[in-house]
Amino acid sequence: MSLPARVSAALAALAFVLTLAGWWSGSPGIDLPWAPSLGLRLSFELDGLGVLYSLLATGIGFAVVLYSGAYVPLHLEHQQRPHRDEVRFFGLLLLFMVSMVGLATARDLILLFVFWDLTAIASYFLIGYDRQEAEARTAALMALVVTGVTAVLLLIGTLVLYAEYGTFSIPELVASVEPGGTVTLAATLMALAGLAKCAQVPFHFWLPRAMAAPSPVSAYLHAAAMVAAGVFLLGRIYPFLETSELLLDGLVVVGFASMFVGGIVALTRDRLKQLLAYSTVSQYGYVVVLYGLGDTVGVVGASFYVIAHALAKSALFLTAGAVAEATGERRLSELGGLRRAMPALALGSGLAAAGLAALPLTIGFFKDELFFQAGVERSPGIAVLTILGAALTFAYIGRFWIGVFLGPTRAPAHRVSALLTGPVVALGGLVLVGGLLPEPFVALANAAAEASLGAAASVDVFYHLDARAENLMALSAYAIGAAALAAPRVWRAAAETCARLGERLGPERVYVATIRSLNETSDRIHGIEVRDLRTRIAAILVPGGLLVLLGLLATPTAGAYTVGSLDRGDTALVLVLATAALAAIATTLPRQHLTLLLVAASVGFSLAVVYAFLGGPDVALVAVLVETTLTLLFIGVFALMPRASLRRLAALRTPPTRRWRDPLVGAAAALAAFLVVWGALSRPSVGESVAEEHVRLTPDAHAKDVVTAILTDFRGLDTLGEITVVAIAFFGIATLLRRGRLS
Amino acid sequence: MTLVLPLAIPWFAAVALAALDGRRPAVGWAAVASLAAALVATAALAIRVWTEGPVETVTGGWPVGVGITLRADALSVLFSLLTLAVLVVCLAHEVLSGIESRLFPALVAFMTVGLTGLFLTGDIFSFYVFFEIAMVSAYVITGYGGRPRQISAAFVFAVVNLLGSFVFLIAIAATYHVTGSLEMGQVAERIADVEPSTVILIAVTVFVAFGVKLGLFPFHFWLPVVYASVRPAVAAILSGALANIGTYGVLRFGADVFPRELEFSASALVVLGVITILYGAMQAMSRRTAPEVIAYSSIGQVGYVLIALAIGGPIGYAAAVLYAILNSLNKVLLFLASGLRGWLVGAAFFVGVISVAGIPPAAGFFGKLEVFRAAIEDASVTLVALLFLGGALSVVYLLQIYQHVYWRPGGVAAGGEASPVVLRALTFAVALVVLALGLWPEPLLAASRAAAEVLVGGPE
Repeated sequence: MSLPARVSAALAALAFVLTLAGWWSGSPGIDLPWAPSLGLRLSFELDGLGVLYSLLATGIGFAVVLYSGAYVPLHLEHQQRPHRDEVRFFGLLLLFMVSMVGLATARDLILLFVFWDLTAIASYFLIGYDRQEAEARTAALMALVVTGVTAVLLLIGTLVLYAEYGTFSIPELVASVEPGGTVTLAATLMALAGLAKCAQVPFHFWLPRAMAAPSPVSAYLHAAAMVAAGVFLLGRIYPFLETSELLLDGLVVVGFASMFVGGIVALTRDRLKQLLAYSTVSQYGYVVVLYGLGDTVGVVGASFYVIAHALAKSALFLTAGAVAEATGERRLSELGGLRRAMPALALGSGLAAAGLAALPLTIGFFKDELFFQAGVERSPGIAVLTILGAALTFAYIGRFWIGVFLGPTRAPAHRVSALLTGPVVALGGLVLVGGLLPEPFVALANAAAEASLGAAASVDVFYHLDARAENLMALSAYAIGAAALAAPRVWRAAAETCARLGERLGPERVYVATIRSLNETSDRIHGIEVRDLRTRIAAILVPGGLLVLLGLLATPTAGAYTVGSLDRGDTALVLVLATAALAAIATTLPRQHLTLLLVAASVGFSLAVVYAFLGGPDVALVAVLVETTLTLLFIGVFALMPRASLRRLAALRTPPTRRWRDPLVGAAAALAAFLVVWGALSRPSVGESVAEEHVRLTPDAHAKDVVTAILTDFRGLDTLGEITVVAIAFFGIATLLRRGRLS
Repeated sequence: MTLVLPLAIPWFAAVALAALDGRRPAVGWAAVASLAAALVATAALAIRVWTEGPVETVTGGWPVGVGITLRADALSVLFSLLTLAVLVVCLAHEVLSGIESRLFPALVAFMTVGLTGLFLTGDIFSFYVFFEIAMVSAYVITGYGGRPRQISAAFVFAVVNLLGSFVFLIAIAATYHVTGSLEMGQVAERIADVEPSTVILIAVTVFVAFGVKLGLFPFHFWLPVVYASVRPAVAAILSGALANIGTYGVLRFGADVFPRELEFSASALVVLGVITILYGAMQAMSRRTAPEVIAYSSIGQVGYVLIALAIGGPIGYAAAVLYAILNSLNKVLLFLASGLRGWLVGAAFFVGVISVAGIPPAAGFFGKLEVFRAAIEDASVTLVALLFLGGALSVVYLLQIYQHVYWRPGGVAAGGEASPVVLRALTFAVALVVLALGLWPEPLLAASRAAAEVLVGGPE
């Protein structure tokens, strides 16, 4: 094993031991202020639920790390990738582990959310570990889009609760929530996030795609992290869920749907990992049903189910990886008879498969017993459905194990490292131990249920050798499952049709079509994005004008716009203003540059005259000077420009569409500006204008006139600023003249 | 004095730098040092403001209204600090990668004067003057690099934004006419007595002017071509520092000067904000290069600020401030990373991606959280749903471009030589800051809350 693998294994083992020790000693947890502004706390506690999922994350994690120590170097070798990529793999796996433990122990909903998304990020990178392959990239994107987007629902749910109760602390919320619309809404949103994460219908499609990840990642993702996080959340927010019967019933429906969809499709899959992936959808369906059925049995059963499933499913995924390494084959149709070449693997995975199929003497027997019990307690109809679900599990998992290990040898196997089979045998062994000695596992499940229910839970499991309902249900499930295995021809066609229908019309199609149409729409609207300068300007003037108009329409206009009176003395002023206005309109007509310049200058000169009439001779003088300078400058520039290009530009014809558009745009903008100015001018001058203060204080500024005082003293900073603006503009022009390289 | 230093240091530095050859690393570093000194001065000012309340002075010791009021409150120091930090990083980045133009450091220093000036002034005309200083420097900086597409981007940028500045000037003239003052406090006080119909038109005009700066839909058409054509460090300066004019402007003028009009037009602003979010996201969706995606993304992200502002109140304003700050940091990170290649660059870009998407542990998460909180307190189901939709779209387009550039064999980041280690380290450091602020958000949350208190007129 390489160094990163060793370090990771050591850390995982240490974390596992620490979790156990913390559980035994009843560690008080951590509680530190985090963001007081929002009342956030870094609050962790190892309650039953926290212990259960932490033990899974670190324990299964340990097995997966050991296995990866042998698997990942081989994997990288196949792909001709450098060995240093191993560091990233183990780093991400550890991040995954830490985020699961953090998630499981967090006591603050925002903290929980942070770890929730961290698991999504870690799995994103692990699913996309083979990033050179398109399949892995699509799968990683899909996983993060589905789980990351639905995660926001968890956040919204959290904030809805915060708005009502003013806290993010889970214990405080649990203590204060009361059944009602707010809690039901929040719990529904949160449950949706959980269901998407544990790949329940209709969010299940991302999980089979995520099989693009290396096998140990799949094992971890399915058994102890990511997907398990979904059902963990249901357990954590159970106090909110149970406030609404309807919500719990919804969970039962979703759970059964996932159970059957996953189970039926698993029956039809040829690729080992695909089969197992659909099996996971189906298995977490059981857990969701158990939470939905609720009560002590349901909640304990859900927690117990998670343990049993984690042990069995991780072993089976690791089996799939080991088989692929040994034979190079990944399909049931290419495999068979491996019990001869790989007896230890056959034994370990056989135990795991038996566990999933709920055979006696395995931990799985009790998981189904609790499942049946919860079903019987609810109603006969539910009980029948539970039997059918168990039978499906029996059938597809039997198909998996028999197909790989029994029958004639199809693909020769070469020897594989003991690290690839060892973890499988160990996990299989645990499945057996759990069947012979279920007490510690049940104790863990009881503790976890206590955290969900808020009350002590003490469910016991034993083997009963009598004709009680649960035993009869188990027997009928075996019988139906075995019959299905014996006569595949009966159901094959129907199952295939179902699977194909799902592919044709299922949510994955919706996802793919959505992504595609988003991109196509984006292309289409990008095609009509504005690209020329005139339209860019119009796109400011017209909406700006419309907004002004909107403002005008939205406010009372009575008395807001006044027309002053004119007396005889104003005639000259009006004439000059009319000239300026006419000149401004005339600027839109000329085609020759020089004409345009002269018309524009005449606007400026007319305005200078206006200033003179309004009693601002100094301003008028400045305006004349500026106008003259600018006109001369432009004439100089024109003289320097190539005659031919000026002539070419002048000869350009205005496209017919623009002949109407441009004047309209200009008129709209002018109207808006006119309205703003008219509105302002309709207000009488304010009595206490600062101008009077300026006049009064001018002597104090030791200035002979007000303008000087304003420019150099009162508002000297502005003058300095404007000088700076001119200087910068000068730099800019100089840079332009030297083609951007002023040296 | 504390109030003058953040303005004086960069101004004197800029004047001195204009005489030197900025292509020499020593000059570049001197420019970085002077901006860093201004940052330190601003930090000292900020500490004083946070502990003792707003600092105010009138130029020349004249009475309020006669001279120009300079004022530092929790909102202005926060924006100054952010902007200076961004400029220091971007300038250092450009110095490290080799400055091509003699005047670049001086222009960045001039832009710093303009930006800190407009944050620290309490006078609407001097706001305009500083705004012009910043904008004129920005026009020249946009052309930096001197390639034809950069020059043409600078042309578009200058023409469109000059129009925006002109619109702003009309609004200032109208404001002065109806209030007889240029000092923001006096203006706010007196404008409350003016007929609403007049003020609303002025407020709309101001909004259009800042809308152009911000690149709000439909005033955004200049933005993508500019951000996608200029050099990465320049794009980072424009989106991380200069664009703060727009966010600060709508906050300051909206909540402080025209609060009545802001409340009146809240639903219109929400509609514009939502359209902007969706439009930006939909345009970003299928763009193939990182700068284009980030450019459209920054259009969309401004929509969140606008919505939070429209919701208003302590929660809405705090959310708007926080979101504006995080958006600026995210854009700096993304633009700087988009120009680099090699190990750690993809990781830095990814931090930016999740920060924009609002995924923890990146700081952007708290921005999203605050905006959602504001919308939920506002009890608007439609708005929450639309924000959710916008967020979902951003996850898709950001991850698409991340994978397109960094994962795909033959992606931009796959080929070619790795960028210098120092550049990558600097960019990665920005990424670490974004992560650190996500893990310990308290300073940002507290600062944005203090800034929001200024806007609601809370305890000073």
